[in-house]
Amino acid sequence: MMKKRFHPLTWWIGAIVLAIAISLADDIAFNVAVVAGISFIVFTANRSAIDKTPWSGGLWFALKIALVIIAIRTFIGIAIGVPVPGNTLFELPILYLPDWMAGIRIGGAITQERLFFAVSEGVHIATLICIFAAATSLTSPHRLLRQMPIFIYEFGVALVIATSVLPQLVSSASRIKSAQRMRGIERRGWAGVALPLLEESLARSLDLAAAMDSRGYGFSRKRSRYRREKLLRHDLTVIASSLAFIPLAVVAF
Amino acid sequence: MISFSNVSLIYPHSLRTVFDNLSFTIEEGEMVLVIGATGSGKSSLLRLINGLVPHHTGGILAGDISVDGISTSLTKPGGLAHIIGIVGQNPAHGFVTDTVEEELVFGMEALNFSQDVMRKRVEEILDLLSLTHLRQRSISTLSGGEQQRVAIGSALVMHPKVLVLDEPTSALDPIAAEEVLSILHRLVHDLGLTVVISEHKLERVIGFADRIISISRDGQAEIDIPEEILKRSAIAPPIVHLARALNLDSVGTSVREVRRMTSHLRDFTPLVAQSSDSTGENVVEINKLSHRYGQKIALREITLDFRTGEITAVMGRNGAGKSTLFKSIVGFHSSDSGSVRVLGNNPIELHGVDRLKKIGYIPQEPSDLLIHPSVAKECAASDRDNGLEAGSTLAFLARLTPTVNPEAHPRDLSEGQRLSLVLALILCSAPEVLIMDEPTRGLDYQAKTMLVDTLVSYARNLGKCVLIATHDVELVAEVADRVVFIADGDVVADGATVDVLLSSPAFAPQVAKVMSPAPWLTVKDALKAISDVTHPEGVQ
Repeated sequence: MMKKRFHPLTWWIGAIVLAIAISLADDIAFNVAVVAGISFIVFTANRSAIDKTPWSGGLWFALKIALVIIAIRTFIGIAIGVPVPGNTLFELPILYLPDWMAGIRIGGAITQERLFFAVSEGVHIATLICIFAAATSLTSPHRLLRQMPIFIYEFGVALVIATSVLPQLVSSASRIKSAQRMRGIERRGWAGVALPLLEESLARSLDLAAAMDSRGYGFSRKRSRYRREKLLRHDLTVIASSLAFIPLAVVAF
Repeated sequence: MISFSNVSLIYPHSLRTVFDNLSFTIEEGEMVLVIGATGSGKSSLLRLINGLVPHHTGGILAGDISVDGISTSLTKPGGLAHIIGIVGQNPAHGFVTDTVEEELVFGMEALNFSQDVMRKRVEEILDLLSLTHLRQRSISTLSGGEQQRVAIGSALVMHPKVLVLDEPTSALDPIAAEEVLSILHRLVHDLGLTVVISEHKLERVIGFADRIISISRDGQAEIDIPEEILKRSAIAPPIVHLARALNLDSVGTSVREVRRMTSHLRDFTPLVAQSSDSTGENVVEINKLSHRYGQKIALREITLDFRTGEITAVMGRNGAGKSTLFKSIVGFHSSDSGSVRVLGNNPIELHGVDRLKKIGYIPQEPSDLLIHPSVAKECAASDRDNGLEAGSTLAFLARLTPTVNPEAHPRDLSEGQRLSLVLALILCSAPEVLIMDEPTRGLDYQAKTMLVDTLVSYARNLGKCVLIATHDVELVAEVADRVVFIADGDVVADGATVDVLLSSPAFAPQVAKVMSPAPWLTVKDALKAISDVTHPEGVQ
């Protein structure tokens, strides 16, 4: 099978459209279905790809973060906030706040509505993150950056460094952590990793900035393109099908 | 092409003058090698050429540097991008894009080259560096040698007049290094490219250099032809040490020259190898070990034993499975099938002090082990972790390298000092098995000598098992009793160092090449064998 090359913007436009659709629908089931769908697309695309960019694994990382976000959002949502009347599930001890903070309370009755509201908020945020992580997995941010005109030199350098060093951090962190286990440092956790990691990423960022500088990046105000990226039929198919989600979201929910 | 006139350099917040009144010129089409101990300023010199120092690093620069008539003090590095191509120490840190083709065009796009020029040049460079089959590949999946070629390619695609390379072969296996260097050699001869290169492993590059710039610690430098510099320099490849030890009239820089000068020695000496019989007991037992990463098989059913009192070198090309094998022995990951036993234990289940007493592991980046803000604090933490008397690690370190300042931050140490710190941290608990992954990267000869002495005494005097993975054939020749050669996840050779190294010309050390067919690997071996013959009283 020939590897299809998508326009760098295709998946990002799709992601933005999907993000609008899930905001319009505001429904947990719809969100979960979207995440399942994009996970499937990323999985098939990654499996058929000959080799992967460091960002290919972005979605799996985002899925893990998504679970944490839902948990935190749910906890905060039920513990702190405005009382929502309804079917009381259980009661937490209430913490009384001074008068000027009326309307906000900590603890108190947890109603079914309040729980549901908190969970669906969490799922919404998590879904948005997953959608954009999926776009990143399918199109490396580097390809996207190359589509951007050079507005400001420093801005471009910063973005390239961020997108290059970030995936490295994940692999460096696990490398350093396992190396330190060998010194009998098992309990110190992430604190011991942070320092070497910070120094390494700083050194790498400087190396990269120097490399970009010495290759003439930003020296000329105009830049040429080696290959004009064109929107082809398969790009339009992806964008059109994501657009179809908007009326669906409006009508169905 | 490049001229330095009265150049002095001081970095900010530093009292030491890196260079003091340096003047020299490099002609067009010359290949110049920069040598010096670690920390002597080799990288600074290279980065001065295109103005990264001081434009990017800060510092005070006096004097003038001009390249092809352009003064670097007035022009930013970007303005010299079409004249100077620079390849950093670790090419992977300098890649800006994801695929080979995009990386090659990055610089040209930035300088607004027209599309047909770019197309023509990309094809030309892909052919020149044999990268055509890799053009669509993601750079992160390439081997070290391939990445180095991509980095050189993306510098050459700008048609520079000067190419500057900082330790281009330090991470490469001997074959990949040879490939990269012969490409450079061809560019110098065919295109009249000026190449400035720094390298610690002189044995690899010495044959290609037209002149050498030797930097000393006090900021002085001399430039001369290799024969002159190497006559006096403390930094010299084994071939030169051999010539000095044999009192030859002149030092040669190629195996061919020294072979001619020593033909009389080879005529009458016996062709016997020193036999080493090992009687140690097995401490590491590997049985049918396999490991895979996704689709890729890293190790296939490997069966090996490692004994006490023996130094084993694991060699092989980049990506052959050396690091995976070591990680399995250390217990970083569980294997797909087969078993690893270290002193009868599964290494994954070893924890705490018990682990420290059994396995000592020094990773490719020794600094991964360091987390404290000073040498003294690192050593104190190690005393605590190992249950040793306070101060014993520091004392151990002082024996290895007396010059280390205990108050210094570990990051400020030189590569060699940092390695001796890590060695002290690991060895003070006297682990039964010491495992080192690629220990000589970035080490100068002085630090290498410290490493060799430490390893040899650890294995011989204390009777411990030492495993090293390395590309450095000269190190292997110096220390190893046994060599295990791995290719594509399989053990393809396993035997005494002499037998394995001499069976492949690419992996033979310089002395062996000169003295072939005599089976001597190091200067010491050769001297001993020759003196046995010339003074036969020791022999019956």
